[in-house]
Amino acid sequence: MRAMARWIRADLRASTARAVVVAAMAAGVVTALLLSAGLLQGATNPWQGLFTATKGAQVWLHLSPSTDVRKLPSQVAGIQAIAGPYPATAATVAAGGQRTRVELRAMGPRLPPIGRPLLVSGRWLAAGSLTGVVLEATFAQAIHADAGGTLVLDNVDGTARVRVRVVGIAQTADQGFYPDQTPGLIWVLPGLLRQVEPNAGHTEEVVGLRIANPAAASLVVQQVVTQLGSSSVGTVSTWQQVQQSMARRDPLLGLLLALFGLMALGAAVLAIVNVTSGRVLLQTADLGMLQTLGFTPVQVMTMLTAEHALLAGCGIAAGLLAARLLMPALLGGVPGVSAAAATVPGGWAAVIVAGCFGAVLLATAAPAWQAGRVRPIAAVRAVPPRGHLSRIASIAMAARTPPALVLGARSAFVRRLPAALTICGLAIPIMMITIGLGFWSTLDEVQRHPADIGLAARVTVSPGPLTTAQTVRLIHADTQVHRAYTCVLAEALVPGETTTITTLGMGTSRQPYPFHVVQGRLYHAPEQAVATAALLSTLRIKVGQFVRMWFGGVPVTFHIVGRIIDPQYGGQLLAYGRDTLADEGAAAPIGFYSLVLRPGVSPRAAVAALMRASGRRLDVAEVPDPADQLGIVRGAVAALIAVLAVIGLTSLLTTSLLGYRDQLRDVSVLRAMGLTPLQVRAALMTRTTVLALIAVGIGTIVGRVFSVPLISAVSRLYGLGAGIGSPPSAWALAAAVGLAVGAAAVTGILPFRTPGRLPAVTILGP
Amino acid sequence: MTGGDGQQVLRTVNLTKAFAGDGVAVTAVRGADLELEHGEFAAITGPSGAGKSTLLHMLGGLERPSSGEIWLNGQRVDQLSQARWAILRRRHIGFVFQFFNLVSNMTVADNVELAAIMGGASRKQARARREELLGELGLAGKAHAAPARLSGGEQQRVALARAMANRPLLLLADEPTGNLDSAASLAVLALLGRVHADGQSILLVTHDLRVASAADRVISLFDGMVVDDAPMTAQRHPTPLPDVLKLRG
Amino acid sequence: MRMPLLALLAKEPAHGYELKSQLEQIFGEAYPAPNIGQIYVTLQRLERDGLVRSQDVVQVTRPNKRVYELTDAGREAVIQWIDKPSEGPRIRDEFFMKLALSPVAGTSDRLGLINRQRRHYLSQLRSLSELAVAADRRIPRLLIEGAILHLQADLDWLQRCQEDFV
Repeated sequence: MRAMARWIRADLRASTARAVVVAAMAAGVVTALLLSAGLLQGATNPWQGLFTATKGAQVWLHLSPSTDVRKLPSQVAGIQAIAGPYPATAATVAAGGQRTRVELRAMGPRLPPIGRPLLVSGRWLAAGSLTGVVLEATFAQAIHADAGGTLVLDNVDGTARVRVRVVGIAQTADQGFYPDQTPGLIWVLPGLLRQVEPNAGHTEEVVGLRIANPAAASLVVQQVVTQLGSSSVGTVSTWQQVQQSMARRDPLLGLLLALFGLMALGAAVLAIVNVTSGRVLLQTADLGMLQTLGFTPVQVMTMLTAEHALLAGCGIAAGLLAARLLMPALLGGVPGVSAAAATVPGGWAAVIVAGCFGAVLLATAAPAWQAGRVRPIAAVRAVPPRGHLSRIASIAMAARTPPALVLGARSAFVRRLPAALTICGLAIPIMMITIGLGFWSTLDEVQRHPADIGLAARVTVSPGPLTTAQTVRLIHADTQVHRAYTCVLAEALVPGETTTITTLGMGTSRQPYPFHVVQGRLYHAPEQAVATAALLSTLRIKVGQFVRMWFGGVPVTFHIVGRIIDPQYGGQLLAYGRDTLADEGAAAPIGFYSLVLRPGVSPRAAVAALMRASGRRLDVAEVPDPADQLGIVRGAVAALIAVLAVIGLTSLLTTSLLGYRDQLRDVSVLRAMGLTPLQVRAALMTRTTVLALIAVGIGTIVGRVFSVPLISAVSRLYGLGAGIGSPPSAWALAAAVGLAVGAAAVTGILPFRTPGRLPAVTILGP
Repeated sequence: MTGGDGQQVLRTVNLTKAFAGDGVAVTAVRGADLELEHGEFAAITGPSGAGKSTLLHMLGGLERPSSGEIWLNGQRVDQLSQARWAILRRRHIGFVFQFFNLVSNMTVADNVELAAIMGGASRKQARARREELLGELGLAGKAHAAPARLSGGEQQRVALARAMANRPLLLLADEPTGNLDSAASLAVLALLGRVHADGQSILLVTHDLRVASAADRVISLFDGMVVDDAPMTAQRHPTPLPDVLKLRG
Repeated sequence: MRMPLLALLAKEPAHGYELKSQLEQIFGEAYPAPNIGQIYVTLQRLERDGLVRSQDVVQVTRPNKRVYELTDAGREAVIQWIDKPSEGPRIRDEFFMKLALSPVAGTSDRLGLINRQRRHYLSQLRSLSELAVAADRRIPRLLIEGAILHLQADLDWLQRCQEDFV
């Protein structure tokens, strides 16, 4: 045991670079997978992380003032602790030209033990500064408020107005994300609450209950309501509701990262197999000698495996740390997802860690077994394998191909298994890089032509307090608006479905809204409709079929004439001409106007102009651009391309080093045969370049073939439907290929450049 | 396995090794019967291809005999598994090879200490043993050098130190001077003589008869068979000078 | 022993005892210690051949001593001797005869003969090796090395014989 430890230590010291590479690969893979798991978790179930981080309460109650809740824990079984009661009141906030309803919740300067808001920036309320407030993070994002900014709070009557300063932004698991959950939440000091709403009758008490058995939340609620009397209980929310409200359907980024992470894992396994089996081949004599010294075959196997387990352990620890450090930076740009929300559940982390650890061990197992089978006698006889000139090589030689190229190409395949491993170890990263570049160019396309993903209109307008006529006049007066479409939003019930679906009357049959149609055509007559891929799959229908649904008792049958891409409404959307509903007598109130802007007009400028024109009475909003969110994908793709490049490079370097000993002999012989140093160098470079060329060929072709379908598949998950994938740009691909081949050529001669390592004559000896 | 209770340190009975090479079985060793007493220094010599190294490798468990028996210190070992052989080697056998075969990724000190630790020494004992051996062999200053930085003679001395690190019952040396110049050969030979004088049992394989003549016994191997087993009469001074020294004047 | 004595006298005139001690000093254990009588006999023969001449030197406290010096012919002879290439060692004709004739005599088998001869050579080799280690002067050590190499050649030749007879 001690002897094994001694050897491992010596080996790690003797080849630090190799050790670092193996650990770094494990670290990179673990980081990628943890980040993707975090993003997936953050995107699909942010509640869990937030709940844990904020020590949240599972049940929240709004009670009438002066309800006594102190005895609740003793009255209702299962209540462990109570958060609050906190005085709360409704108010409106004016910020960025918009007025929004909010809930002010009074808390003390000390964060409570349960349901404590989790600060993401700034600081918590302080006793000294009464006008300092803390905003809930998603709400702050929606109204573009940052710590340090100012807001104006009005009470509901409009009788009191207080200018306040945002001192901090915090997250909470108490309620869903804004705007899915309204009103927005602002924490204030009790003194400020009284200042904004002097009328105590307009105040409520908010209480959070932490309960022993979360599954029994609704039972607890029933008992509490019975205990307190239904008259004193306003609204009730349970964690299930909050969780559901927070859950999102855009795990694109996480899936993407997971895909890349898994591929990186595969490539890393190959690279580790390559590195390890390479050293077994290189150190056959040493491994044999260890057995001569008295190591049993099992001990040699154990030793190699233990060494790699150690490296994997270090790498995984580093990966865990890196993921923890990178998570906030990576998640900064994703709305509604935070570091706390993206906390990887222990189970997942364990699976990832165990998986990576297992993968490294698996990658080591075969070479270790090989090492165990090295007979001790190998110490005495270590002979490099001899390749034969292949038929093709002989033909090439006869055809006066430069001998350096023939010899280099031949030597690439002297050791067949490592050559195959190198090709795979390089082809996989190249393939993933190709796919990554495909994502990149798709993002470029989407950002350049937002209409392609159904975002023809970048601004929506709701009348707000104004009349329809006033609104229409204002819109038509705006020269920046190219065209306005009147839209109605109507929920419809489809027979056989339990939930309602969202339908939109967008424009009219004569003047339909310019959806991005990827299949079929737009609606040009009443009762024709288009739908997104996700909705079509929910309803299990295809383009060209008919579907019947009910609008508040009125049945309407639609002919689905096309499939569109629209990232809004969770990707589940049915759209038709507004006139359809009117014809059928299922009239719905006008919801909003979608404005298509003139080319070159920025949505923000258009919003500002309309606000100005309406005296801030119009409710104008920018349509959120999912491509903006996808910007984070660029960073992730770039980072993963870097990881993959390192893994590919490792494979190449291993091959190069593996060939070093064989090559040394060849180099001397080649020199003796009369090849110039330049030709020798060319032969060495050819060796790795040939392997790289094969790998690059396979990798780019497979990557190119898979990138468009893969992007379509991912975007389908995202609700965009297929049809937005673009192939990687030729330039980027050419650059990547060029870099890979260039790197291969350089690694070919790298070991030979260190002057002290090229003993010219000695190796010709015995 | 410590005492010399009358048994030989090594005994072989009708030891045979045949290799299956290219369809034809090549017999490298045919029926070798050897005995080595405790503290004895014997050399196996013969032309190349006589089966010397194969014989030595079988005695160290590096190769499995085709038939015959090997008794090490009274224990029959030819049937042992690879793992059992490994344990036997780590405790009781020291090996020196023609090409030194130091573990390349370990320093000189590590190479020697590794063998001592394998032999069951504690870390402290291993360190002390290493310092003692390297000091004796004049390599104390090279303890932390990489093997590749040493000359052939130095590497072979390290290999000898490593072989001695576990205080082996039997030291097996396979052409230890085969890759050294004459001065380094003499130095290594002198060291072998010294450890022998301290009571070490040594079995040496060499094609160099001058090296062989340093042993107590010279066993001549020819075509896989022992053709002569000559005890070297200890001739001390004054020596009747050999004819060759009589100058013709 | 003629030529070594002439060579020593080429440096300076000397008497018999001086020559003996010089020989011992140069050749050491590599050279069987010559007896003084042999030296004087050789010197007289050299004088008779006209290669050296001698004269008595009178000493007060001791008996007179005879000092020898080189003649011109003697000097010429030394130069010629040194310039002329030397013959190689003679082959071991006696053992060769034994090897060739042993079946005829019916006394011994050849392999036994070879083995016995090898043992003999090996023990000589061992003695010489020990001598070589003990020799601390260059000339004697080189002589011993030469002898060792000759013995090794003889042993190789024995091996060759063995291969041929087996």
